[in-house]
Amino acid sequence: MSPYGYRMGILGAGVVVAAVLSVSVGASTVGPTDLVELLLGRSADPAAEAILLQLRLPRAVLAALVGGALALSGCAFQALLRNPLAEPYVLGISGGAAVGAVGVVVSGLAVALPWLLPLGAFAGALGAMALVLQIARSASRGTLDTRVLILSGVIVGAFFNAVILLLLLMVDAESFRSAIFWMMGNLGTASWGSNALLAALLLPAVLVLLSLARPFNLLLRGEEVAHHLGASVARVRLVAYLAGSLIVAAAVAAAGVIGFVGLIVPHAVRLAWGSDHRFLMPASVLAGAAFLLLADTAARVVAAPVELPTGVVTAVLGVPCFAALLIRGGRR
Amino acid sequence: MSAASRPSDGDGRGAGGAPTLSGRGLAYRHPRAERPALLDVSVEVSPGRLLAVAGPNGAGKTTLIRVLAGLLRPESGEVRLGGVGLGRIGDRDRARMLAVVPQSEASPFPATVEETVEMGRYPHLRPWERASRSDRAAVESAMWRCHVWELAGRELGGLSGGEAQRVRIARALAQEAPVVLLDEPTAGLDLRYAMELFHLLAELRGDGLALLVVTHDLNLAARFADRILLLDRGVARAQGRPTEVLTEATLEPVYEWPLRLVGHPGPGSDTGAPQTVPLRRDTDPPARASERGPPGLPDLP
Repeated sequence: MSPYGYRMGILGAGVVVAAVLSVSVGASTVGPTDLVELLLGRSADPAAEAILLQLRLPRAVLAALVGGALALSGCAFQALLRNPLAEPYVLGISGGAAVGAVGVVVSGLAVALPWLLPLGAFAGALGAMALVLQIARSASRGTLDTRVLILSGVIVGAFFNAVILLLLLMVDAESFRSAIFWMMGNLGTASWGSNALLAALLLPAVLVLLSLARPFNLLLRGEEVAHHLGASVARVRLVAYLAGSLIVAAAVAAAGVIGFVGLIVPHAVRLAWGSDHRFLMPASVLAGAAFLLLADTAARVVAAPVELPTGVVTAVLGVPCFAALLIRGGRR
Repeated sequence: MSAASRPSDGDGRGAGGAPTLSGRGLAYRHPRAERPALLDVSVEVSPGRLLAVAGPNGAGKTTLIRVLAGLLRPESGEVRLGGVGLGRIGDRDRARMLAVVPQSEASPFPATVEETVEMGRYPHLRPWERASRSDRAAVESAMWRCHVWELAGRELGGLSGGEAQRVRIARALAQEAPVVLLDEPTAGLDLRYAMELFHLLAELRGDGLALLVVTHDLNLAARFADRILLLDRGVARAQGRPTEVLTEATLEPVYEWPLRLVGHPGPGSDTGAPQTVPLRRDTDPPARASERGPPGLPDLP
């Protein structure tokens, strides 16, 4: 088998193992044997079947979708900005989504209209994207300067953080807790319906980004070089920025703010197997899916029956992992 | 067939069908700049010819390359490639006809030499198309030509300046474009690499490529180039054969420095080529070849 197929096979197997693990363990006593029985079609316990099919499996699918999508968007932003640290956070998009969500929670509408919360996050993310793009455009007079773009992303993100803190000062303890929990990532709201909607939103954006693998390779060498080699830089940049932001908006809307996936996963793949986006991007989708499945499993079992926010686990897992990969990469 | 490979008329093509890159009356002003970076510059890069562009720092040499490469849109004037306006040629079509080696590039992301040279095949491949035998052949021949074959697996970041420069030139050659523009390819190269580079350019010129090279090395330009364009503050001060352009009367006011020109002593086919020798400041200048005043503010229109 080619190295490409071999590596994708390893990653695909990793996703399956992570998914099985994620579905098999949890706060209740439902375990691997129930999963095997369910798969063999002779499940005896309707409660176990419900937990597996209506709680754990949708949650695992959500984790895989969000993890893969966030990792892919990280690849895209890093190539676009030629900055290994580029991430939805840096660009202020996650901050915008959080403002939208917290706004809904603070308004008290979240209780009566639960679907308003993801919608608010989605609107916030798109608003942040438009704001960052607009500031960067105005500041760089016509063309998008990547440094200006990062700077405006940081400024917009800082502003959104201030807005969130301001909003949280006005709420009661219960809403505060809910908002905080959501801000740190929460996969517990997964359902088959919301997953289907999320997948429908993600799929076109994911395909668009995957098709830009070769121009992304050129962009890593700089926009001038990419132009000389025949890439339509302005168009690629706009399309990729829109697709990447849409992915982040959809992912944050579905699962809250989960950091480090878009930063850690592409770096891990890059350090292990290089920067060719034709491999890096599909590999990051799989690795991101496996990563978030494992992180969410840990979030559910580490302090059971208390469930940790998934974003906290990705941060706790992500930082040492990042440091280790960095040290290994430096030695090589 | 693309619009790019269909010349609107015959004027943009040489005898062998190789396209000419021409700029007429080019003017460009950087955003919010007080004076234009280019003012009414005309240039022709023809098949089988090597044009050297020289001039002091800030003369507009890099801007000229960027305008000719379609990276900057000229304020006035037009760039034509193979007789077709550059704006009407798609990016990929353009890159198949016109390769550019920019001054420098830095990336925080690693890439091997081979991966880098393979990027030159981008305009020849559709998004999901795999590299064919002819793509491989183009990459390998470009690596051989630039003597980077033995570096194929090395990381770009670990190369010396001369090696990295040759890799970037190999990438441009892998594009198999008939017109190649190079922005100061010998910057930071030692004597041997600089000579090898100009010999490579001479070889490519012999193959019928149309070449433009921006260089600060007037002496190598005099020995290798067919024509020299001398830029000064965005204006073409002189353009013509090396012996016509490289004179004390022309160079001293442009560089604002006293200098003398001597013939290349030989041996070699370029014996007699005008070689520029800048004088030391403490030199008490005897009779000047030119009647121009001492270096100071040159006359500007």
